[in-house]
Amino acid sequence: MSDTSSVVVDADEGFTRSAGKQLALYALYAIAAVAAVMFVLSLAAGGAGSSATGNAIDVENNSITIALREEPPQMDAARATDASSNVVLSHVMEGLISYDLDAQPIPGVAERWEIREDGATFWLRENALWSDGVPVTAHDFVFSWRRVLNPETASQYAFILYPIKNAEAINTGQLPVETLGVRAAGDRVLEVEFERPTPYFDKLVSYLTYFPTREDFFKSTNGRYGADADMMLYNGPYVLTEWVHGSTMRWEKNPLYWNKENKGFLDEIRTAYITQDINAKLNLFKDGQIVDTHLLSPMLPTAMEQRWQIDRSMDGSVFYLEFNHRDNRITRNWNFRRAMQLAQDSTELVYKVLKEPSYIPGTTLFPAWLNGVSESFQKEYPPVEHKMNVQKAREHLALAKQELGIDEFPPLMMLTGDTPISLLAAEYYQQLFRENLGLELRLDVQIFKQRLEKMRQGEFDIVLSGWGPDYNDVLTYGDLFSSWNLQNRGRYNSPEMDSWIRIAQSELEPKKRMDAFGEIQRLLYEDVVIIPMYERGISFVVDPRLKDFRRRSVGPEVDYNFAYIDTSGQ
Amino acid sequence: MSEISAADFQPLTAGQETQVISRPSLSYWQDAWIRLKANRRALASLYIVIGLLAFTLLGPVLWPVDPARQDIDQISLPPGTDRNATIVAPYQPWFGDANLPGTGLRLAEPGTTQAVRLQWEVLPGANGHRVYRNLFPVGPEYAYGIPLAEILNNDTLYFEDRLDLQPGTYFYSVVALGPRGEITTEYESLEVDIQRVTTVAEAIERGLLEEGTNLQVGDQIELAWHPLGTDYLGRDMLARLMAGARVSLFIGIGAPLLFVLFGVTYGSVAGFVGGRVDQVMMRFADFVVALPFLLFMIVFKIAFGIGPGESGVFPMLVAMVVLLWPATARLVRGQILQIREQGYIDASRLLGAKTPYLVFRHMIPNTLGVVLVTLTFAIPSAIFTEAFLSFIGMGVAPPTPSWGSMSNEGIKTMLTTPHELIFPALFISLTVLAFNLLGDGLRDALDARMRNRE
Repeated sequence: MSDTSSVVVDADEGFTRSAGKQLALYALYAIAAVAAVMFVLSLAAGGAGSSATGNAIDVENNSITIALREEPPQMDAARATDASSNVVLSHVMEGLISYDLDAQPIPGVAERWEIREDGATFWLRENALWSDGVPVTAHDFVFSWRRVLNPETASQYAFILYPIKNAEAINTGQLPVETLGVRAAGDRVLEVEFERPTPYFDKLVSYLTYFPTREDFFKSTNGRYGADADMMLYNGPYVLTEWVHGSTMRWEKNPLYWNKENKGFLDEIRTAYITQDINAKLNLFKDGQIVDTHLLSPMLPTAMEQRWQIDRSMDGSVFYLEFNHRDNRITRNWNFRRAMQLAQDSTELVYKVLKEPSYIPGTTLFPAWLNGVSESFQKEYPPVEHKMNVQKAREHLALAKQELGIDEFPPLMMLTGDTPISLLAAEYYQQLFRENLGLELRLDVQIFKQRLEKMRQGEFDIVLSGWGPDYNDVLTYGDLFSSWNLQNRGRYNSPEMDSWIRIAQSELEPKKRMDAFGEIQRLLYEDVVIIPMYERGISFVVDPRLKDFRRRSVGPEVDYNFAYIDTSGQ
Repeated sequence: MSEISAADFQPLTAGQETQVISRPSLSYWQDAWIRLKANRRALASLYIVIGLLAFTLLGPVLWPVDPARQDIDQISLPPGTDRNATIVAPYQPWFGDANLPGTGLRLAEPGTTQAVRLQWEVLPGANGHRVYRNLFPVGPEYAYGIPLAEILNNDTLYFEDRLDLQPGTYFYSVVALGPRGEITTEYESLEVDIQRVTTVAEAIERGLLEEGTNLQVGDQIELAWHPLGTDYLGRDMLARLMAGARVSLFIGIGAPLLFVLFGVTYGSVAGFVGGRVDQVMMRFADFVVALPFLLFMIVFKIAFGIGPGESGVFPMLVAMVVLLWPATARLVRGQILQIREQGYIDASRLLGAKTPYLVFRHMIPNTLGVVLVTLTFAIPSAIFTEAFLSFIGMGVAPPTPSWGSMSNEGIKTMLTTPHELIFPALFISLTVLAFNLLGDGLRDALDARMRNRE
């Protein structure tokens, strides 16, 4: 008996030992196999990279391949709101005024214009043609602008036309569209009447909501205008010749475009990829499948190793913590907001946490690229110097407690988008305010649309928010916190702010107007309407053979209108 | 042939042992334990499981670091990084130094992790300058590296770099800009060694120094120790793994315990009562199997009023318990149906055993082997589910970590700082493997039919 039992145990042990050996052997084989596969793959990838087998640039056909962030929902300029639509429309359409390579305004469909206190006149050029050969006329603009403001169109960007007389009343359904203050004096003269003086109107009309639409063609599409490549007319440097929904687009050179000498040098631009995945785009670029891509900070070591020429540009937008100023919100208390302002430092956020080389630590609502009277606005009106002071912050917090009559602050809701950068910033702030002020912040992470909806409803205490420019003037930021602006999601309401904004909107003397913006900037800091986080920039790489490609702060984020292929380097 | 005496025909006296049990008798559990001990894989797994529990429960006592604390000076550092830092004066803004000696691109003071201060003269033909930083020398491709700043005039000829400075060597370049602000090939380059530094105020804030300690500029200090490195916000990985283990093991062990318990009760009732009741109960179980888990998880989250920013662990637990019991119930019902028809049950019943006695004495103990095995296999799958749900953002709310959410964060920087992904992934794999092997061993040890087969 005893013998057998010991044999059983031995056999068992032997079994486990041999099984263990076998297992170890299998594991070794598996690791060796994986290593071999990885080695082969990396060799293959290296080969592909060095020989540049990709077709990002096709020198023979003078064409390039690019990636779009997402597919445009539709190409009707009146209803477009997203960045991708903006990119495509800015290449296939042209407004009254256009931009040159250095983002300076140049004549577009209008050959000259005049802006007065009560209105503006645009003289249209003769040779501006639609892609079917018919001239672009002043009637096309009248029709388009009336359509944008028609409440039935439900254009989200209709507000950008509000400087035109009666525009707001029409958009809210109080007046018929025919009363709009715009009139075609013949085919080639467009007369605009203003609701109030609008000295920056020339900057507005290059925005895509101001693009023309031809009435007879629009009617012939039976409501499918902009839904397909053949459901549109084009007047820009390129025309859309093919649109396979969900997969590719093809833009070709517009033979009828009037300014061919200065724009639209490529025969063809293919948008072969639609992806938001930045890693996928990096790999496409590495393999020579697309001509440009942008880089996030974790990719920079790779880019340096590949010896790419990294470029940067400001994307124009400014990001900030916005408070909810509605009644019954703790964030309505000035001392509370002041405490939060004093407890943070945007340089730490940008330099240590986000680590994005193209970002500039936020100091004000007005980004560095905006122009003042004669040079940069920030230079003429330096932002209030901010110094982090936790001691003082705690004093203000104690005052806030007294004023609100509470012992303990309840958890506050911090609304944020779901992009990696905003999540990172939100988590950083959560701990920062917990450590420095003992505040508990709950993160409400939402996708972009849902975040906007919650901001609109006012369902937040603090939101990580941002604002991109619609036109190249300080006012695109300056009127954000007026009591009547619907984009003022925190419902900040101050008579002093409103009075400065009114001056900024209608003052014609540049110095006085900029002074008003200076006061707005001071008030934004002193009243802690927002806490600036950063000005967003982008690090990117372009195929060195493609010249004069631009990333823009205003208008399309990527601009191939001036791009051409240069083969001299080879 | 030996002689046969009369004594041989005497009857044996009563009380004399006919059979002797030479060893103490073994109960079912003792026997199972012996055979489990003989299985080394299972035993090793058992130790790992015990180790994990100790890591979760005792770990935070031995390593009392706040898992939410952000050490901004040590972000995304792998384990074993050098921690020596030199004390420097607090940061003061710097706007160039008109009297700085020397020419060309040069440093105003030695490069530190606080700031690198560069100054230069106007480059030939420049309309402005761009400052770059690179990990490699510029080389013939004019790969200058990361553009840090663009200065569109020739008045500003200095730059202060404070962006994510790490100890090591950087190559700074200043490149002349052409008339339209374009990059030219006119540049100057400078190799800069960066020294790790900190200030007294920062050291006190991070708890490295007692307030009032007398430290001078230039003194050496050791930064906080992070044995497993730090994550993307400078949080201690070891503390986060421990805190994450609490969530992962709570779900991983709590949920299976509850739903197996319910499954056993449900299955044994169905199996024992049988007939119509059994039919109805098992069809209901089939119905529950068909319910989609993720959808219910979301529904529970809303039903419990779990707002944004609050932990979704409780609805996760409820969803698991409500939806995952049918597998166990079916298994136990099958076993009970089988056992019910066994001879010893009939015998027991003939001897007058009541139903509760039958169930608790004969039925459930005989299904326990199966149940235990189900349980050990349910645990790894529950840990996986938790990891997956936290990975897609349905689980814990930041800053609470869980292994799944840590993996999710780690995967974003997989190529640059792999340790942020490897550690939580390793813990998930190890736990799941240990529970699986333990379950395997238990199945072998508890299966009575395998007793004599080895």
